[in-house]
Amino acid sequence: MTEYIYDATFEGFLCCVHAHYYSGKASNILPAEDCLQASLLRTVEIKTDEEKADIVYRAIEQKISPFDLRRVYRIFLSGEKGKEMQLLEYIRLGFIKGKSISSYHGNPTVRNAELLEKKVTMEAHRLNGLIRFSVLEGEVLYARIEPDNNVLELLVPHFADRFKSSPFIIHDLRRKRALIAESGQWYISNFAIEDVECFAETEIEYRQLWKNYFDSIAIKERTNPRCQKNFMPVRYWKHLTEMQ
Amino acid sequence: MKDIYEKLKILAESAKYDVSCSTSGSERKNSGKIGNTVGAGICHSWSADGRCISLLKVLFTNNCVYDCQYCVNRKSVDVQRASFEPEELARLTIEFYRRNYIEGLFLSSAVEVSPDYTAERILKALRILRRDYDFSGYIHAKIIPGADPRLVELIGLEADRLSINIEMPTEKSLKLLAPQKTTKSIFAPMKQITDTLIERNALKGPGTMFKGLELNEKANNYLLPAETNATRNSLTVKRHKSKEKFAPAGQTTQMIIGASGECDMQIMKTSESLYKTFKMKRVYFSAYIPISNSPLLPDAFSAPPLAREHRLYQADWLLRFYGFTADEMFDEKNPFLDPYLDPKVTWALRNIERFPIEINKASFEDILRIPGIGTTSALRIVRQRRVRAIKYEDLKRMGVVLKRAKYFITCSGKYYGIKSMAPDTIRNDLLGIGNEHQISMFEESSTQLTHGGNPWDNVGKRNKDIIRGN
Repeated sequence: MTEYIYDATFEGFLCCVHAHYYSGKASNILPAEDCLQASLLRTVEIKTDEEKADIVYRAIEQKISPFDLRRVYRIFLSGEKGKEMQLLEYIRLGFIKGKSISSYHGNPTVRNAELLEKKVTMEAHRLNGLIRFSVLEGEVLYARIEPDNNVLELLVPHFADRFKSSPFIIHDLRRKRALIAESGQWYISNFAIEDVECFAETEIEYRQLWKNYFDSIAIKERTNPRCQKNFMPVRYWKHLTEMQ
Repeated sequence: MKDIYEKLKILAESAKYDVSCSTSGSERKNSGKIGNTVGAGICHSWSADGRCISLLKVLFTNNCVYDCQYCVNRKSVDVQRASFEPEELARLTIEFYRRNYIEGLFLSSAVEVSPDYTAERILKALRILRRDYDFSGYIHAKIIPGADPRLVELIGLEADRLSINIEMPTEKSLKLLAPQKTTKSIFAPMKQITDTLIERNALKGPGTMFKGLELNEKANNYLLPAETNATRNSLTVKRHKSKEKFAPAGQTTQMIIGASGECDMQIMKTSESLYKTFKMKRVYFSAYIPISNSPLLPDAFSAPPLAREHRLYQADWLLRFYGFTADEMFDEKNPFLDPYLDPKVTWALRNIERFPIEINKASFEDILRIPGIGTTSALRIVRQRRVRAIKYEDLKRMGVVLKRAKYFITCSGKYYGIKSMAPDTIRNDLLGIGNEHQISMFEESSTQLTHGGNPWDNVGKRNKDIIRGN
């Protein structure tokens, strides 16, 4: 049994799966950043090797299914600790059951995978609505998020189409990365700018108008803060204009 | 700026009683400068009342020539009045939209001057938004009863969804409370919208209610007289000509609950007939909130019937997604929903001879009828059965609410409920009451309801106690 350390990339994780099958069973898989203390177990650092990653990638796609490959990738974007071992378990079961793996809804491994994937896709879907842009000088749209999961990439298809005629930046403060897009072209890169405060002139006015609208649309006789928080968890409020 | 601040406040406050804020049913890529629509819809925020905000929901004006008793904007009441200018509203929509505050615009209006005048102003604002700003986002437009059919069509060509509020569950209450609106002026545009959608081969219908049926085949649709081949051909030509889509997300309506004396059965029968006749996507309910001192309405201190609204929505889901009919849910002896149990449990207890249902053998349609099982868990059950039999422990992981389902199922022949299949015993067990403490209200209500014994009268102020996940 070996504890594998990898570079926190998807390819690196796939190499851990490869090592599990060809070098020795994994007792744990950890991204390098989480591995500060030396473990008592045998620890091996896995070097990311594109060829090995590609072999596992294709194996999942062909021996399990393209659907499950997408599922594996989305779960990999999860911010949950220990996702790697849950993924490995799912992939192992997948190599046994084949493409019908996702039909075993009552199996705890499949159920866990479903729940993890749901958390990721749910957050991405939520952010489609909860992201708030500010208009900067030069008509650039800028938004800050601190999502639980690494969802930037999942936001691309929606926002790149919606705002195709204006440049925009979605800044993930937690991971210090940003999605930068203009006229349908986009890339994700490290983003370190701390203060973006060069707002367009009318920005503050529209924020006020929105808050004003937000307060006016609620029906007082129906006030229900629990219901509000259920749909819109408090951890997202920090970046919501109307909740400031 | 001050001016628009005040306007927005007044016109949002007067629009907030319109329930629908959904942005679903329309899937469109950005074909202009800004905006697209997503089939599932997107919510952008939730207000303090827990309702989602996805559209900028405003009235064009709250200057009304009508005097409907239940309405905050009725002519005879002394409130601040305001109107948007079409350009001003379009600009506001775009500025909100690009900041991702909203998914689009919900534009309704009081009747200013006349229905045609009002409809023309709405059309003007929508055209500015679509053409001058090249906006491809979601638009829900309210159709003003009595507006010219040509205007209805033109508004439909700009909007994703149209709605005309039926306001009251029966014609009688409409006559009483909204004397200037007639059922004819409400149903005529509803029919026009459905007919136009059929012509364009674009009618989709509510939920899964008409699954597998071709709604756009005229032969299947009793709204239209049988047609000849000649007319069919001419319609085909017309279809090809018009590239613009007409209300791709269909139409909806809404009625106020608890302002008039209808029973739940009448409300659901009206909803069902709206679904069947006009194939509308949704019928919304709005719990009446006392806003006027009219002697015709509940007094100003009565709480809005939120629990009742909730149960009615559950029943509405049974109609649209679970294959139930209003006749199955009610009869003359039981014209109200049970305040303490969801309508599916109520139905199952009344039809206990159909249970228990074997999870590993029953059809998808039968599984959908088991309390505690929704469409997602039903689909999972059917999927897993193809590869592996379902064990009782699997059900919880599939999302089945065993607390309710256990009385009504067997799993590979084994029953997991309580000893007795007597409806009263199951009911008490579900509600966590011993047999000796039956809630007497229901004993009475089952005999009294038809004579005006409305179970909701007794529970109006205790909404929170009632809905505890049953």
